[in-house]
Amino acid sequence: MATSQALNRQAITLKGSTNLVTEFFKYAANTILFQRGVYPSDDFHMVKKYGQTVLVTQDLALENYLDRILKQVNKWLSTGSVTQLVLAIISKDTRLPLERWVFDINLVEPPADSTEPAPPKPESEIQAEIRYILKQIVSTVTFLPIIDDPTVFNILAYTHDSADVPADEWVDTDPLAIEASKSQQVKLRSFSTDVHRIEAMVAYRYEG
Amino acid sequence: MTSNPKTPSRFRSRSDAKTPLTPSLISSFNAVSLGSPRKHGAAPSHPADLSNPFLARSRPASPVKRTTSGTTTSQSSSSNAGVIRKGGIESRLEVVSHDYHPPSRPELKRSRSTPSTRERTISSSSTHPDRFITTREDAALPSSLSSGATDATAGTATSSPGHTARLANATGVPLNKRVLAYHEAPPSSSSSTFLTAQRNLARPLYTRDALPSSNGTSTSKTRRVPTTPERVLDAPGMVDDFYLNLVSWSALNVVGVALGESTYLWNAESGTVSHLGDAPGDTYVASVDFSGDGAYLGVGLGTGAIELWDVGSGTKLRTMAPSSDAASGGQVASLSWFSHVLTSGHSSGTIHHHDVRVPRHLVASLHGHTGEVCGLRWSAGGEVLASGGNDNVVNLWDGRGGDVGGGNARGAPKWTKRNHTAAVKALSFSPWSPLLASGGGTSDTCIHIWNITTGARLHTYHTGAQVTGVHWARDRKELLSTHGFPGNGICGGPRGTQAAPAQTSKLFEIRDAHDSRVLFSALSPNGEVLVTGAGDENLKFWRVWEAKEKVRKGKTGSGKEDGEGRSGRGILGIR
Repeated sequence: MATSQALNRQAITLKGSTNLVTEFFKYAANTILFQRGVYPSDDFHMVKKYGQTVLVTQDLALENYLDRILKQVNKWLSTGSVTQLVLAIISKDTRLPLERWVFDINLVEPPADSTEPAPPKPESEIQAEIRYILKQIVSTVTFLPIIDDPTVFNILAYTHDSADVPADEWVDTDPLAIEASKSQQVKLRSFSTDVHRIEAMVAYRYEG
Repeated sequence: MTSNPKTPSRFRSRSDAKTPLTPSLISSFNAVSLGSPRKHGAAPSHPADLSNPFLARSRPASPVKRTTSGTTTSQSSSSNAGVIRKGGIESRLEVVSHDYHPPSRPELKRSRSTPSTRERTISSSSTHPDRFITTREDAALPSSLSSGATDATAGTATSSPGHTARLANATGVPLNKRVLAYHEAPPSSSSSTFLTAQRNLARPLYTRDALPSSNGTSTSKTRRVPTTPERVLDAPGMVDDFYLNLVSWSALNVVGVALGESTYLWNAESGTVSHLGDAPGDTYVASVDFSGDGAYLGVGLGTGAIELWDVGSGTKLRTMAPSSDAASGGQVASLSWFSHVLTSGHSSGTIHHHDVRVPRHLVASLHGHTGEVCGLRWSAGGEVLASGGNDNVVNLWDGRGGDVGGGNARGAPKWTKRNHTAAVKALSFSPWSPLLASGGGTSDTCIHIWNITTGARLHTYHTGAQVTGVHWARDRKELLSTHGFPGNGICGGPRGTQAAPAQTSKLFEIRDAHDSRVLFSALSPNGEVLVTGAGDENLKFWRVWEAKEKVRKGKTGSGKEDGEGRSGRGILGIR
């Protein structure tokens, strides 16, 4: 009984968790695009989410683009195929990667003592953790190098070999890594639902 | 097993390895290098030394770097120097000319992502101490970043696997992952940052001060002047003549308009129109002006005669015939009342004072102009009379000359200003300071502000358009001007104060108020509404200066009620 209930809850929260994580990616991506000036700040408007105001793009083309990507990420999340999501900011002219925002996706290991289902994490706590991450992303502006040139972004997904990849939509590509000697990394906070654990890190190109 | 097609040609030539290692190849290889077809395993040293000076001594010894017989997949950990495996197969990467051998690495399971990382790494590093040569390797590779995901093998393999391998080691991401990106590039922003930057730079140009917007007003943040007229009346037959003054607004809130030969009165409160009268004969009406109390209307005719009408009854009281002297006659282009004195300005440049109470009405004549007197205005208290003419001259006459008191400087104006370079039709006295505003015509477009007593020019505004009328605001320190060519607009702004800067502080501008030059204008008695008339046969009413203290509830009804007994604002609005 208890286990089936736990299983039920587990099954439900997997989908809920993937949705939560996908939503988080959406808002995190929007926040990063705004903070790093990839898109003009006029394009963004404020919405209330996670108990604070976040900036979301109003540009329909960009919104659709992100939605399409995240829909696929959602599918991968539910099958557990994607392990890392990277938002790389590259210079428009030189295609040089300037920043990489890396989000590791790990599956939360069930507790060793699996007979007793762990109490589900309250949503408020998850939201609080997400809030912290978003606030931290905003605060990274203080140390990230100023970007003056026009930039574009790319979203890369690190998946398993066995992942079901729609061939016409996703292509294998170069990881757009920053030169090892010029890259600085800062690990940001993480958040976790009962099912997924997301860790955030930013690697930026730093000369000298 | 797979060949090493990626080996740069440089190495390839040396290693001469394009195909999997086979004994036959090795032998041929040996043959090439050693110059004698000799099995590799046999005593290689001597031939090596003799035949090929370029080949290092260790070369024959080095062949067996990592290989075991027949297979390249398995790793042999020999450190190769001097080790000769009997029957060993020379590694195809055996092209060592240095002694440096990179530490042998565990052979990685041959996977998609690392087809020949190892060999290439070693070969490259053997000759180039710098490990980081990703770009060069990439350049040598056929770029297949655009290859479809269907070709999974080629996919990740061709995108700098060496770099990927290093990165994988650095980031800890195992190499059996795929890095995927969405096939479409992200959309560029619909408003490019360059454009927004330009827009921000240009913003000061199209807000408030400088260039007015193309079709409406540019107003300050605090006040918006409606760009559309409150009311439009049809005025057929309105003459498109700059020098005439065909509109007047009485203190009793009646607008008098001269259309051709006829004069009409429009009651602003009731909205009714009454036809006052017609000019006799074939002459036309050149100017109209209400007396101070609004009871009488003076109508100046083209012949130089002036009619006096009773507004209340709508009857003509008298006609003041033009002076017999032709030189001092001509059409009455301008009229101005001061109590019982009606002053007329003629096309000859003469100004006549008429006392309307007495039969011999002509009481004084002023000769100060050589051109048609198109602008004429008494000051509110009657101290001075301003006149502007087609000769670009502005004269200020003492009001007491003539009938009212005995002045000495009767014939001469108090001061004469010739600053304008075009006809001066726009004249207005400021209600709150001893200032006179005068505006010039097309070639002048300036508004000068003069001190009445000293004659000093205080301000000059370059409006850029022919000035056809100026009006001061009653309750605030602002000036409004109506224009003709070009723009046909109405502008207003803070003027006449010390603080008012010169040209650029335009509070509002109504462009294209009319389809043709805004020639005639008059301010309502409460100072809120301006009526303008033009050759496009329209009379338009503009609410330019809202009453400050009164809260407007609406045009109809309430405005009337709370103002019933009050002079000033209340009921004197347009219905």
